[in-house]
Parts: sequence; C-alpha cells; structure tokens
Amino acid sequence: MIGTIAAREIRSGLVTPLLWVLLGAGQVVLAWIFLQVIENFSGLNADQRLISLTQELCLNLFGFAAMLAMLAAPLLAMRMLSAEFRDGGYDLLAGAPVTLIEILFGKFIGLAVLITPLCLLPAANLALLAGVATLDLGQVAAATLGLWLAALFFGAIGLQAASLTEQPGAAVLIAFGVLVFFSIVGRAESFTAQTLSLFGWLSWNEHLFRFLLGAVRLSDLTYFLLFTGFFLALAHRRLANRRLQ
Amino acid sequence: METLVFATNLSRDFGRHPALSNLDLCLERGQVLGLLGPNGAGKTTCLRLLSGLLAPSSGRIEILGIDLARRPLAAKRHLGYLPERPPLYPELRVDEYLTHCAQLHRLPRRAIPAAIATAKQRCGLEDQGRRLIAKLSRGYRQRLGLAQAILHRPPLLILDEPTEGLDPVQMRELRQLIRDLAQDTGIILSSHLLPEVQSVCDRVMILHRGRVRFDAETRAARPTNLWRVRLGGETHIMHLTALDPVAGAIAIGPNRFQVELREGSNSSDLARAILRSGLELFELVPERTDLERTFFDLIGAEEHA
Repeated sequence: MIGTIAAREIRSGLVTPLLWVLLGAGQVVLAWIFLQVIENFSGLNADQRLISLTQELCLNLFGFAAMLAMLAAPLLAMRMLSAEFRDGGYDLLAGAPVTLIEILFGKFIGLAVLITPLCLLPAANLALLAGVATLDLGQVAAATLGLWLAALFFGAIGLQAASLTEQPGAAVLIAFGVLVFFSIVGRAESFTAQTLSLFGWLSWNEHLFRFLLGAVRLSDLTYFLLFTGFFLALAHRRLANRRLQ
Repeated sequence: METLVFATNLSRDFGRHPALSNLDLCLERGQVLGLLGPNGAGKTTCLRLLSGLLAPSSGRIEILGIDLARRPLAAKRHLGYLPERPPLYPELRVDEYLTHCAQLHRLPRRAIPAAIATAKQRCGLEDQGRRLIAKLSRGYRQRLGLAQAILHRPPLLILDEPTEGLDPVQMRELRQLIRDLAQDTGIILSSHLLPEVQSVCDRVMILHRGRVRFDAETRAARPTNLWRVRLGGETHIMHLTALDPVAGAIAIGPNRFQVELREGSNSSDLARAILRSGLELFELVPERTDLERTFFDLIGAEEHA
C-alpha cells in the first residue's frame, strides 16, 4: 500500500511543472557556480591552491544544492498534504482501508524519490570533469549522501508543516521558519566555541559540512535520521488528531 | 435482511458546538436512506462519522458487525464513500485515477481492469478513460467520484450530495443508478432537495441542528387521499361534506378546507362534484405529507432565524 501511495505521488510530481522548474532553475545556478569555481581554480598557481578541486567544488556546489533542497522540499511536501486537505483529495485516503503510517510513509517515500534528482544534480555537474581532472569520488559520494539525507530531513519538516494546515502557502512558510531556525541555531556560538555545542549540534549545516568534507560519521547519520523520524512522528500524530478535531 | 450499518447514540461536537446529537441509525441491505436537512444540519458530519473520517465524540458505529473505531481497516473495506467534493487528483487521467483507487481498496491486480470498466460503464464514463481529470466538467467529476466509490463493489455506499452539479438528465440517470445499486447494497445519501430524496429513498431522516426531527419510510409518508381546497364565496363545511366523493372535511381557514376523499375517488371526482354543486373552486392541491410538512416547517424556521 505504501508503494501505491508513493507511486501516485511520484506520478503526480512528474506530470506537474513544479519539480521540473526547480530542477531547471537549480541546474542553471549550479552550472554558474560550477563555472566560477573552475574559473577561479584554474587561474591559481599550484602553491596558491589551499584545498583540492574536489573540496572546492563539493563545498560550493553541494552547499548551494542544500539551499535549493531547503526550498524544494517544503514546496513538494505542501502539495502532498496541505493541498490535498484543501481540495478534498485526502478524503480518498482517509476513507480507504489504509493506515496512517502507510499514508505517511507512502508520501514520504514519494517525496524522497522526487527530491533525489535534485540531490544528484551536483554530482552530475562534476561528472563533466571525468577524464579531464582527477576527482576524489569517495568525497563526492559522501557529499551526495549527506545532501540526500539533508533533503530527507527537510522533506520530513515539510510534511509535518503540511499536516498542520489546509493552506499550502502557510505550510511552506511554517516549514521555512523551522528550517531557517535549524540553519541558524548553531550560529550564536560558532564564533566563541571550538567544539560542537548543543546548539551547534542542532544545526543541520554543521552535520552536512562533515559529509561535504568526505567524512561519513555515525553521529551525523544519526542526527539526520533521528530528526527525520521525529518530524514524521509529529506529522503522524497530527494526522491522527485530524479525526478528532 | 442483513444489517449493514448500526450506529447508536452517535454524537459529535466541534469545540462547544454540537454538530450531531444522539443519532441512532440502522441500515439494511437493499435500503436507500436519505439524510435530508437544511445547510448546517449535520448531514455531512454524520456521513463523515459513518465513513470513519471523523471520530465520534460519543457513540458507536458498526459496519457489517465490525466496530469502526476498533477495526477501522476491516470496516472500511466494506464501504464506498463519495464526499461532498469528489476526492480527485486533477493531474491524473481517469483510468490512472481509478486504477489508483482500486489498488487503495486492495482489489486483486487481475480484477482491476474489469472493475474499472464496469464502474465507468455504470457512471457513463466509458469514453473518458484517457481524459485528464483537470479537463473534466463538474458533472463528469461528480460521476468519477461516484465511480471510485462503487469501484470495489462495497456492500455499503455513503454518498454526500451525489446529484450536486449534475444537470437534470444526469440527475435522472443517477437516480436510476442508485436504484440499480440498491438491489444488492445499502446506500446512505444526503441531500437538501426534498423531491430528490422522495424519488430515490426508501427511508428519510430529517436532520436539523444536529438532531433527528423525522425518521420514517417514504412509502408510509406518501400522500394519502387528503386534499386542500380553497373555495369562493361564503361556503359552509356542510356544503363540502354533503358531496359524494368526500368522506370528511375540516376547515383550516377562511374558505380553506382539508378534504378526505372516499376510497376509489380521486381529485377529478372532487372537482367535478364541487362545480356541479355550484361552488366556486379556486384551488385544489394535494395535502402535504408528514415528511413534507416537517421539512418545510424546518426550512421556514431557517428562513425566520
């Protein structure tokens, strides 16, 4: 049943323009950043190059792609719950012999599949350099994994926000609010403390940064999976409460 | 007769506002129950409770003997639900949408094409399979909503204002479809149109402000041989009771009478007798049934409120 719901979400995502616009716009900006990094890097002498080309590209391309995913996930998620509440499509699922867990996981998996091409865009850009420059493929793989996990985390927040309201616009704003909070929460102490504080730990960009450097650490994996699960659980609770309200 | 729905003492509050209070309902296979009432009477709330979309504040619902609150999945397998707004996905094609609905209702993969073909044929959607739902007219959307409800041949159908948005021809077709479906299913439908309910339902329940005001079989509530007449001039009731077709009469206003006809007489006999006796006949209308009286009283109450 999860597969049925996910397949429907993917089909709907593919036949409507939102995903393609996000991918197209994202690729234009990524290509621009890609060009700039290559331009700058090739203009430097060997002794002026502080970090490798792979690191330079990973930090810039994947960093921007994460911002793009932060924008895309709430927009894709809002359609899956908020807009369905508003247009009545959710009644089909609520009236069918399907559990809330199946509904939520179906939608989440659909969202994960739809946002995956966005996470592969930076790696696809880097593939242009294959045969021209030697890239650290392990680091690119780690960065792609990190970006994908971050996108899942954004998607879970998006779904949770979308479960709160019948107004898709409000759902997107709520999700952005939460995501911006999770982006800047570590900033307060970043100038004074050297070690990862609680606030620093809460911030997703700190964890993604390790992935972009090529380090796949269990603690960072745990962070993304834990918060993804947490926001999905909140969304489940909210869907269960809809019957009572 | 098999009991399809058994609801007892069903209540639902939204905050402090009671949307439905102490409703008891029982529906058997082959019956069509109409929920009638003005807007805001609690019809949709009642149907959403019965289809498991809302949890009741108190009370209990059983569908084919399965408790809807304890075993919602098993209970929902037996029902088809058409909400007020058909639950459609505009970006899908009609066939894609119906396939998705069939999968949601766990129809076996092999049975899906035949089920879709039957549902489309019953709802007049045979040549619409490739069309995008976003491009369908309102009437076709309503039909598609109905098709998804009957797709898995549920024993219980819950239809919230099914004729909304249909033209008169489509309405007539839908009534016929409901009668056909009622041969082996039980149907609960809501409407705010009295003639629609009278024409299609076996039983009517009138709701007003969340309470049941009238609950009876429509056959029992069909017009008897009671007529209302308005006569001209100074007419005494004795003039009327003296007429052959009249079994009895009561005055209900100046020159207005309620007349009961003898067995075997009809309104034309009465009209002829009145004219022959030299009385002036201004008006001759069938007396409203209990159902109509209750309904119009409530609508009147709404208008004055």
